[in-house]
Amino acid sequence: MDFSLTPEQDLLRATARQLLSAECPPSLLRSHIDDRSAAASLHTRLREFAGLGDSELADLCLFLEETGYVAAPGPFFATTALFAPTLAALGHDLLDAVLDGTVTGTVALAGHDGAWVANADATKTFVPDADLVDRVAIVSSDGIRLVDSAPLRLVPTLDTTRRFFEVDTTALDDAASDAAPRRVEPSVVADVVERATVALAAEMVGTARRLFDMTLAYAKERVQFDVPIGSFQAIQHKLADVSLGVERAQSAVQYAAMCVDAGSPERHRAAHVAKAAAGSAATRAAKDGIQIHGGIGYTWEHDLHFFIRRAYASEHWMGTTGWHHDRLAALLFT
Amino acid sequence: MKLDWSPEDIAFREELRGFLDASAPAEALHRDFANSEGDEIIPDWARQWQATLFDHGWMIPGYPPDLGGRDCTPVQTLVYLDEMASRGILRSLHFPGYAIVAPSLLDFGTPEQRALAPAAIRGDTVWCIGMSEPNAGSDLAGLQTRADVFDDRFVVNGQKVWTSYAMVAEKCFCYVRTDRDVPKHRGISLLIIDMDTPGIEIRPLRHINGSAEFAEVFFTDVVVPRENLVGELNGGWHITQGSLAHERAGLWVESVSRLEHTVDALVALAREVGAADDPAARRELATVYEGAASLRALGYKGFASFAQGAAAPEHSYMKLATSELVKTCFELGMKLQGAFGAVVDPERGAENGRWPRSFFVSFASTIAGGSSEIQRNIIATRVLGLPRS
Repeated sequence: MDFSLTPEQDLLRATARQLLSAECPPSLLRSHIDDRSAAASLHTRLREFAGLGDSELADLCLFLEETGYVAAPGPFFATTALFAPTLAALGHDLLDAVLDGTVTGTVALAGHDGAWVANADATKTFVPDADLVDRVAIVSSDGIRLVDSAPLRLVPTLDTTRRFFEVDTTALDDAASDAAPRRVEPSVVADVVERATVALAAEMVGTARRLFDMTLAYAKERVQFDVPIGSFQAIQHKLADVSLGVERAQSAVQYAAMCVDAGSPERHRAAHVAKAAAGSAATRAAKDGIQIHGGIGYTWEHDLHFFIRRAYASEHWMGTTGWHHDRLAALLFT
Repeated sequence: MKLDWSPEDIAFREELRGFLDASAPAEALHRDFANSEGDEIIPDWARQWQATLFDHGWMIPGYPPDLGGRDCTPVQTLVYLDEMASRGILRSLHFPGYAIVAPSLLDFGTPEQRALAPAAIRGDTVWCIGMSEPNAGSDLAGLQTRADVFDDRFVVNGQKVWTSYAMVAEKCFCYVRTDRDVPKHRGISLLIIDMDTPGIEIRPLRHINGSAEFAEVFFTDVVVPRENLVGELNGGWHITQGSLAHERAGLWVESVSRLEHTVDALVALAREVGAADDPAARRELATVYEGAASLRALGYKGFASFAQGAAAPEHSYMKLATSELVKTCFELGMKLQGAFGAVVDPERGAENGRWPRSFFVSFASTIAGGSSEIQRNIIATRVLGLPRS
């Protein structure tokens, strides 16, 4: 049992931090609201890391914590955490092109209720960044097929950094599709979703850590009553609790990733714990973060809201904290 | 990163399991807390059990054999604490001697004082710690019990409170003020006081669960030989941090393992009382499971930092989070029982009132050893670098 990072993992994280702080500043998130091409060069840079789509989940999670920290827009998450594992599960020969960064993709799976559980619904919901990718893998109860294009309906959420779409699978262009769906075992789909859930939790830990870091820095510099507000116990205790939540969630995500990589029977519980812990930590960091910022955090000009938006949209994607608690309870009572 | 334990550590755990299966007395198993209502303070079985652990090198396995150990590695200490706690086994029913006094004597004592350590660890000598006072709780450095300093002796006057095991202890590890003219942290000394010295009066203090392992201790002109000073004169504050340094990195696992045990028991209780299908109960159970599981992961992460020699702020979080979660768990045990939640009857309600009784004892967990509020202050100032208020 060893939670320490390898030198290669340390390097991966340092590389991600350096790249993303340079390539994805808050000013990019701001331009990106009205002009999605603002993130084009970021997307290009991130293609260099598409190989993480087939790496140990622990490595992907380290990287995604950093994309979450900057609330990176674009199809990197969809490609590495959803699309590549789907291709790998199928043994699809497109995988190599995805891993070398040539092809991007996303996955359409959730049905009308938004749950990421295999279903026969014709309309697939909460498909991330479907307008930016080369291929969409459509997962239905009769199997998985890849399409080049699909009728999309943008469904706006609070989040301006990641966009979700509905895909109408009754109106697919057969000429642009694989000939027939490839059948897969339901457990294969469940494994892909479990992996993506832990990956999303990692990203959320990064967003939570960003919210916390911004708030801690503000508490140290903002002076009221002639002292930094961070000297007040009411503020200190909130920050102590937020940081505890982030630490717990980060550790829970690492443990879940290690369990998935090892194929441990613990991985199902650990994945639910990870997403629930990340959801609690991120929403707590968001709420206490804006409260501690006070009025300035409520302005459009301040950058805080980008991360609050991302935190809440992610809490509600791929299962809320409550949904994961329900699934976890089902495992506890089996 | 590695999920598995090494073959050496697995073998270590197997050896421990074999020993525990063969030797642990029934009374030592499945204890929520050290002292329960109606217990003797230190019953005979507990004295024998502690001595048996010492004699087999299982009392403090990281120590050498003459101190009740087997020179095991830090990871093996973690395995040891985890295995013991997962079975609800306590090493000792009186922690001060082995956990605080012996390590401090070994680090700061004279050769004569160091020689007291083995008996403290084996439990042959029962120690109490004279630390808290009526006006020195969270503000420990504000203690007022004074020792007048003479060439050959100290004369102690004052009062200690919350002194666990004072009525059965032979010796007291007592913090006293020896200089009132310097800032409060700098005027404190540490003395070894024999509890049968004239001038010591002990009044048992029952806690809210009814048991009386606490006491108030009054000192009136108590004469203590000069050689009973531990460490430097006025240098006692530094020794207050004395605990098992090499176990500190793994002590969290005891709390976490007990929490996991408690969560398992809650799931069983929910089944037994017909709450297993109640959606609200299921979410609360999942929430406490998540709490315990995320804390185990956080503990492992902190342990990895510690093993690499880095500062491990994770440990500052563990006390706060585990103690709060303990209370939540026992309260949930009451909630699951509905109308029977507060019942402490052997024939009505679950497990002879285990849940309400343990809930009451668990109030201490967020007060003793640094309250949750003090823990948050420590995290804010020492870990997060916020200015002191």
